[in-house]
Amino acid sequence: MADARYAIPFHELRLDQVELVGGKCANLGELTQAGFPVPPGFAVTTAAYERADIDAAVAEAYAELGRRAGRADPPVAVRSSAIAEDMPDASFAGVQDTYLWICGLDAVLDGVRRCWASFYNPEAIAYREAHGISRGGMGVGVQYMVDARVAGVMFTLNPVSGDPSSIAIDASYGLGVSVVGGEVTPDSFLVSKVTRQIVRRQIGAKAIEVVADPGAARTVTRDVPEELRAQPSLTDEEIGRLAEIGRRVETHYARPQDIEWAIDRQLDELFVLQSRPETVWSRTARPQPVAGGPIAMITAAMTRSAATAKE
Amino acid sequence: MTEARAETKFPSPFDVPTPEGAEGWEEMYPYYLLFDPEQRDAEENRFWFYNGMHFPEPMPAFDMITAESCYLSIGLYQGRVFQIPTVLGIEHRVVNGYVYITSNEVSDPAEIEKRLEVFLPRIGFYYENWGMLVGRWQAAVDEAIEQLAALEVPHLPAIEDEQELLHDHKLGSNFRLMTAYDRCIGLYNELNQLHFELLLLAYGAYLTFFQFCGQAFPDMGTQVMTQMVAGFDTTMFRPDDELKALAASALELGVDGSFADGRTPAEVLAELDASDEGRTWIKDLESRKHPWFFMSTGDGFYHHHRAWADDLRLPFTAITGYIAQIREGISLDRPKEKLLAERERIAAEYSQLLASPEERKAFDEMLGLCRHVFPHAEGHKFFIEHWGTSLFFNKMREIGAVMAENGFFEGADDVFYLNIHEVHEALSDLGLAWSGGAAARGTIYWPPRVKRRREILERLAQWTPPPALGVVPEVINDPTMQLLWGVTADRLRAWANQTEDDEGVRGYAASPGVAEGIARVVRDVNEIGTVQQGEVLVCPVTAPSWGPVFPKIAAAVSDIGGMMSHAAIVAREYGLPAVVGTGHATKLIKTGDRVRVDGDNGTVTIL
Repeated sequence: MADARYAIPFHELRLDQVELVGGKCANLGELTQAGFPVPPGFAVTTAAYERADIDAAVAEAYAELGRRAGRADPPVAVRSSAIAEDMPDASFAGVQDTYLWICGLDAVLDGVRRCWASFYNPEAIAYREAHGISRGGMGVGVQYMVDARVAGVMFTLNPVSGDPSSIAIDASYGLGVSVVGGEVTPDSFLVSKVTRQIVRRQIGAKAIEVVADPGAARTVTRDVPEELRAQPSLTDEEIGRLAEIGRRVETHYARPQDIEWAIDRQLDELFVLQSRPETVWSRTARPQPVAGGPIAMITAAMTRSAATAKE
Repeated sequence: MTEARAETKFPSPFDVPTPEGAEGWEEMYPYYLLFDPEQRDAEENRFWFYNGMHFPEPMPAFDMITAESCYLSIGLYQGRVFQIPTVLGIEHRVVNGYVYITSNEVSDPAEIEKRLEVFLPRIGFYYENWGMLVGRWQAAVDEAIEQLAALEVPHLPAIEDEQELLHDHKLGSNFRLMTAYDRCIGLYNELNQLHFELLLLAYGAYLTFFQFCGQAFPDMGTQVMTQMVAGFDTTMFRPDDELKALAASALELGVDGSFADGRTPAEVLAELDASDEGRTWIKDLESRKHPWFFMSTGDGFYHHHRAWADDLRLPFTAITGYIAQIREGISLDRPKEKLLAERERIAAEYSQLLASPEERKAFDEMLGLCRHVFPHAEGHKFFIEHWGTSLFFNKMREIGAVMAENGFFEGADDVFYLNIHEVHEALSDLGLAWSGGAAARGTIYWPPRVKRRREILERLAQWTPPPALGVVPEVINDPTMQLLWGVTADRLRAWANQTEDDEGVRGYAASPGVAEGIARVVRDVNEIGTVQQGEVLVCPVTAPSWGPVFPKIAAAVSDIGGMMSHAAIVAREYGLPAVVGTGHATKLIKTGDRVRVDGDNGTVTIL
C-alpha cells in the first residue's frame, strides 16, 4: 500500500498527494511530472512522521538519488514539507526549517529529524494559530543540491503592485538563501509576460553570497568581489529563460506562483527549486470596472470624485 | 495621509521678475491675457500651470492666437457643448512670454448632476455616429482650407483698377485688405473650432482606456497602451512615406548622387535641373508635394516653424538619409501586417490576464471604441496644425508683405511681432493713410517696436519659466489636466518643494526606457548628418522626417512637443526612450555631454 511508504521520489508524486508528503513535496512532484527542470529528490512521507524505523527507506531513496546524480553521498537540501504548507491560502514561507548542503546518510537522517522538530518551533505554532490551521503532520523533502552560481525568487505577478502581466525576479550570486533570507539587496528585474520585455531593472548591492564549502559538507558566506557587485547577476537571455519558465509554471497551475530557482555553476542550467501559489494579491479583491459599456466608463472617468482622483 | 498639509505655493504671478533686458514684454499681449494687479487676490490664489507641452517657447505677439484660438474652442466644447460635468474651460495668461493655464472646475454636486444630464446624450450622439461625424468634419476642414488657400490679399495700388471698381463694383483695396485679414483670422478660428470638436472625445476614450489599463496592469507602459490602439496607416505617416518614395525614385532615376549631406536644396535642385532624369525627379517632387509638404517643421503653434514646402532643407535631408538606407539594403516599408498582428496578440494576451469576465468585456469594448475613434486624434494634426496652420501663417506673411511694401516693416515676418488686435489697428492705419494720401503713422511707430520685441523675445527665450504659479488646490478635478498633462495635486506639491539644483532638464515622458549616451545637440535639420551611432539626439523639435536619424540614436530629447508630437510617435515606433517638451534642453545640454535620458519619468540628467 502506497500510503505506507516512508520515502517516495518526486517523479512519482502529484499535487493531490499533499496529505501524504506535504505541500512542498507535492508541488515538486507535480512540477517534475509536468516536465519542469526540478532537481531530483524524494519525500519522506507523513506516514514516516516521528517514526523511528525510517532509516532503511531513507537510505534506499538517498542511494537511488546518488545513482541518478552520478555520485555517492550527493549534497542535498533537507526541507520541511508540512501538510498545510505551500497551499493557496498560506505559504508558511520561511517558518519551518531548511538545511542546505547536507552530505551522507547520517546527516540526511539528522536533517529529517530536525525538520520534524521544527513543527513545534514557536514561529510555526504561531503561524498555524494565526491562520487557523489545525491540520498536523509533516513530510520532509530531500532534494539534490544545485551548486548555484546565481539564484533567487520569481513572482509571476508584480508583488508590489499586483500587476498580473508582470514577472518579478530577484536574483543574487550563490545560493538563493541569501535572497530569501534578506541577507543581500538582490538585483531586481521586472519582465512583461506579454511583450517579453524587461521593463525595469535595478542592480542591487549583492555584497555577500552563500556557497558550498567543497571541503566540508556545509555552506559558507563570503564577500562578492567588488567588480561583480555592480554587474547584473543575470544576462538578458537568462532573464528571458527564467520568465518563460515562470509563465509556464503559472499556466500549469492556472494561478500566480512564487518560485525559487537557481542556475547551476557548471551546467549553466536553470532549475526550479520550488513553486507555491502566490498568496497575497491572489486573494485581494480587484477593483471592478464601471458597468454599462464604454460611454459609462468614459463618463465615470470624466466625473470621478475628488477622492478617487487622488488615488 | 491625514496629517494636515501646509498650503503649497508656487511663486505668485505678480512676483515673477522680468528678466533683464526684457522689460516691457507686456506690451506685446492683449490686456486680457496679462495678470491684472487690480484682481491680484483672485488671480494669485488660483493655480496656474505652465503649458510647456504646447508652447515651449516665448510667444511672438501674433502667435498668441494659436493659444487663444485653441482655448476658445476647448472651452466651447468642454463647457458649453458637451458640458463635461466637472469642468468648464481653460483660461490662459502670459508671463514673460510663456503661456500659463488654469481650468475652471465645477465642484457643486447638484451642478455636476445637472451637467451630466446634458453630457450623456450629447457624447452618446458623437460616439454612436462617429464615422458619419468624421466625414462631416473632414468636409468642413477641407472647405475651410480651400477658402484659406483661395483668400486674396490685395496690394494697395496707386490707382484702383477701372474694371474692378467701376464695373465689377468690388470693394476698394484698403477695405479688401482688412476683410482679408479678418477672414484669415476667422478661418483659422473656424479650423480650431473643428480642431476640438472630435479630438476631446477621442482623447476621452483613449485616456479612459489608459486609466483602465493603468489600474488593471500598473506596470503596462504607455508605449504598450498606445501600441494596442495605434493604427499604422494614418495621415500622420503619409508625408514621411512621400519622402521615402522620392528617395526610391531618385535611386531608380540614377540621380541619387546629387543628394549628399551638407548640400543645400538649391544646390541639389540646380544639379537635377541640368539633366532629363533630374527634371523627371523634380516633376515627381512637385506631384507629391501637395498637400503633404504643408507638414510643419514644428508642432504647428509658431510662425517660424515653416512648412516643408517653404523650407526644403528638412525633407531633402531626410531624402538623403533614406537614399543611404536603401543603398544599404534597409527596407523602408513599415511592416504593417506584422505590426497589426503583434497589436492583436498583445491585446488578446492582456485581455486574457484579466481575472473576471466583466473586466475582459470592459477591456475589449473600451479598446474597440478607442480603435474606432483614435485614428482621428492621430490624423487631425496634419489637417489643422500642419496644412491649415501653415496656410494661415503664409497668408499672414502675404499681409505682412503688403505692410512691408508700405513702409511698416523691414520684412513680411515682422507682422508676427504685432498681436492680432494690433495688426487690425495697423491695417486701419495703413488703409486710412493710403486712402487719405498721408504718411501712415505706423511707418514710424512699428519698426522700432518690432526691433525691440525681437530683442525681448530673445531675452525671454533664455529664461526658464517656473512649472507653475499660484496656489496648488487640494485636489484637481479637471480630467483634461490630469490625463493630458499628468497634473495631480501631489505631483505639483513635489514640484513646488524641488530646489533649483535638482531640477535638471524636465519634460514629458514620451517614450519609455532609460538610456545613456553622448549628447549631440542638433539645432538645424541640416546637421543631422553629424549624429553618430549611439548618441543622444537633443533637438528643438523633430518631425517624422527626422526618421533616418532614429535608427542611429540611443534616445531623443526635444525642446518642443507632447505625448502625441512627432518625436514621441517616432521614438515609440523605434522603441527609444524620449523626453519631449523640455523647453530648454538644447540650451542646457552641450554636444559631448554625457546624459541619461529617463523616458519613464521625463527627466534628462547631465552626468
